[in-house]
Amino acid sequence: MTIIDDYRLLERYGFKLIPYGLAKSIDDAKKLANKIGYPVVMKIISPQASHKTEIGGVRVNIKNEGMLELTYKEFEEVASSHKLRLDGILIQKMARKGIELIVGAKRDEQFGHLIILGLGGIYVEIFKDISARLCPINESDIDEMIDELKSHPVITGARGKKAININELKRIMLNVCKFVSKEDIKEMDLNPIVFDEKGGDIIDVRFTK
Amino acid sequence: MASKEQIKNLKYVFEPRSIALFGASPTPNKVSNVILKTLIEGGFPGKLYPINPKYQEIVGLKCYPDLNTIKKQIDCAIIATPAATVPEILKQCAVWKVRGVVLITAGFSEAGEEGKKLEDEIRDICNKNNISLIGPNCLGVHNPATRIDSIFLPIYKLQRPKPGNIAFITQSGAIGSTIVDLAAYNGIGISKFVSYGNAAVIDEVDLLEYLENDPKTKTIVAYIEGAKNGRRLYEAMKRINKKKPIIALKAGKFARSGEAAKSHTGNIAGSYLAYKAAFKQAKVVEADSIEDLFDFMKIFSQPMPKGNRVAIVTNGGGMGVLTADAVELNELQFANFSEETKVGLKKILPDFGNVGNPLDLIAEADADKYASALDFFMQDDNVDVILVIALLQTPPMDERVLNVLIRVSDERKKPIAVISLGGEYTENYQRHLNMYDVPSYSSPNAAVRTMKKLIEYANYRRGL
Repeated sequence: MTIIDDYRLLERYGFKLIPYGLAKSIDDAKKLANKIGYPVVMKIISPQASHKTEIGGVRVNIKNEGMLELTYKEFEEVASSHKLRLDGILIQKMARKGIELIVGAKRDEQFGHLIILGLGGIYVEIFKDISARLCPINESDIDEMIDELKSHPVITGARGKKAININELKRIMLNVCKFVSKEDIKEMDLNPIVFDEKGGDIIDVRFTK
Repeated sequence: MASKEQIKNLKYVFEPRSIALFGASPTPNKVSNVILKTLIEGGFPGKLYPINPKYQEIVGLKCYPDLNTIKKQIDCAIIATPAATVPEILKQCAVWKVRGVVLITAGFSEAGEEGKKLEDEIRDICNKNNISLIGPNCLGVHNPATRIDSIFLPIYKLQRPKPGNIAFITQSGAIGSTIVDLAAYNGIGISKFVSYGNAAVIDEVDLLEYLENDPKTKTIVAYIEGAKNGRRLYEAMKRINKKKPIIALKAGKFARSGEAAKSHTGNIAGSYLAYKAAFKQAKVVEADSIEDLFDFMKIFSQPMPKGNRVAIVTNGGGMGVLTADAVELNELQFANFSEETKVGLKKILPDFGNVGNPLDLIAEADADKYASALDFFMQDDNVDVILVIALLQTPPMDERVLNVLIRVSDERKKPIAVISLGGEYTENYQRHLNMYDVPSYSSPNAAVRTMKKLIEYANYRRGL
């Protein structure tokens, strides 16, 4: 199973992932980037590299073919110096600017699947500001989950900022519960999803069976 | 998880007409001796059969070697004999169709592999014979109304509560006994108390299902360390909480205390995140401490409020201000009194007094002033809940004030909570109020926070 197989499975469940493609060559990469539209993000895809950022395997804001070609060659060097098997280079559309949310799910041995919601960055890591519910959930459960976050004004609008697209967040969360239950997923992370008032971009998804 | 029949048979545990006590002993302070004396002292009205082949008579009662010699069908057996003897006793119970069993003895699944096998064996016997068994490794049950009492802690050390409508179920015996003692001391009534220990046959969900249909129980309080089956607990709580409020205290929230719970009852404490989610989703009232548990369970004797608009009456300005702060902090609303109420209240205040909320009756307030103020609040459609600050140290405050509060609470129009802060004199009166189902608190914060729980629960019920 490669990340692309995972993405396809998610798409079958109706997750709208940010436009992407897996390039096996520089030519591939150029074609994909042109199709997706610059600027793009490039990521090393290797079964041995789960922490892409730490080995320098993620580059954002690639603006043109020149940068793309250069980065591609650098990635090949990174892969060989770390002795990584390179499955390809993921080309993704640059995400919108906005608020980073984390949606996750896990299978609890006592209660079955539960879903969590939190704000990315310091909110989750330092303030442990998350809310949780057992799957299945309904829309009012999600309203309560948002309400329960200490940081909820960031989601519902504060200091002149508009509320994020909460309907899209709800659609994603309902889908997460459906997905983890049907596929009996052990753990799942959508981290981050970048939201603004118009919608949300799922930047990274991981799950284990 | 017990069968429907076994859950029904809990009736024989809670309302037995006759009890056989296995392992009855004349030795003071032995568990079975304490239980026997407690049943006698507590005034259990049914037949009592001490069983122990070694004795002819114990504390004045004829002692039997076994059930075969009694030759009567008995409703409930309390067993306090060594673990290894229990399977044989249960087989006797099966032959004589004993339907309810309270197994006090420890040394089962909490004590390793051998104990686990023994526990499987007793579960098997009970399930085959529809025996409803509480325990093992527990204090068992107490029902103040029927006076069954298997708590092996003597009455002079641990008081028993009056009959009431709060059921209390607990995994831990130590927590359970403390709660029983405190409930009795504070004047709080109990419908059923169950310390279920290892839950070999009857588990927490079976108990909840029994209490769901128990007409004597209006509020359910549960102390949980680790559930046998979290999902089943969640589904049951969600269903039952729509009919009767459930207040839950989860212990073993964090990794370290989780370890303690594991060795404690041979159960795996589930992860707290999932419990918290389950409580929120089932709209169960979660208590964070034993103090919370007591605060919350008292308030549910009150009628459900229609909204969150609070009226405060006080005989001390400062306490009024503190209470008003607590109302703000808990995001409740202050009631705007109707014109009629304002005109009426003006008449009971001194000339310089202002009709405000908090309504300050000042230190000259007596029972009559409280009565008029409360009657106006009760009639005013702009008032949903009432907080009564009664500082009992002033000269005009006497037991007539208590009578007013009890009368107003008994009318059951709107929920009230009383805030009184003070020493021995005040504490005595607080217990008196609790005894008459008027919830009484020692701090504005506790009262307001608790009232908010009632308001939230009432909102939930209204929305169903």
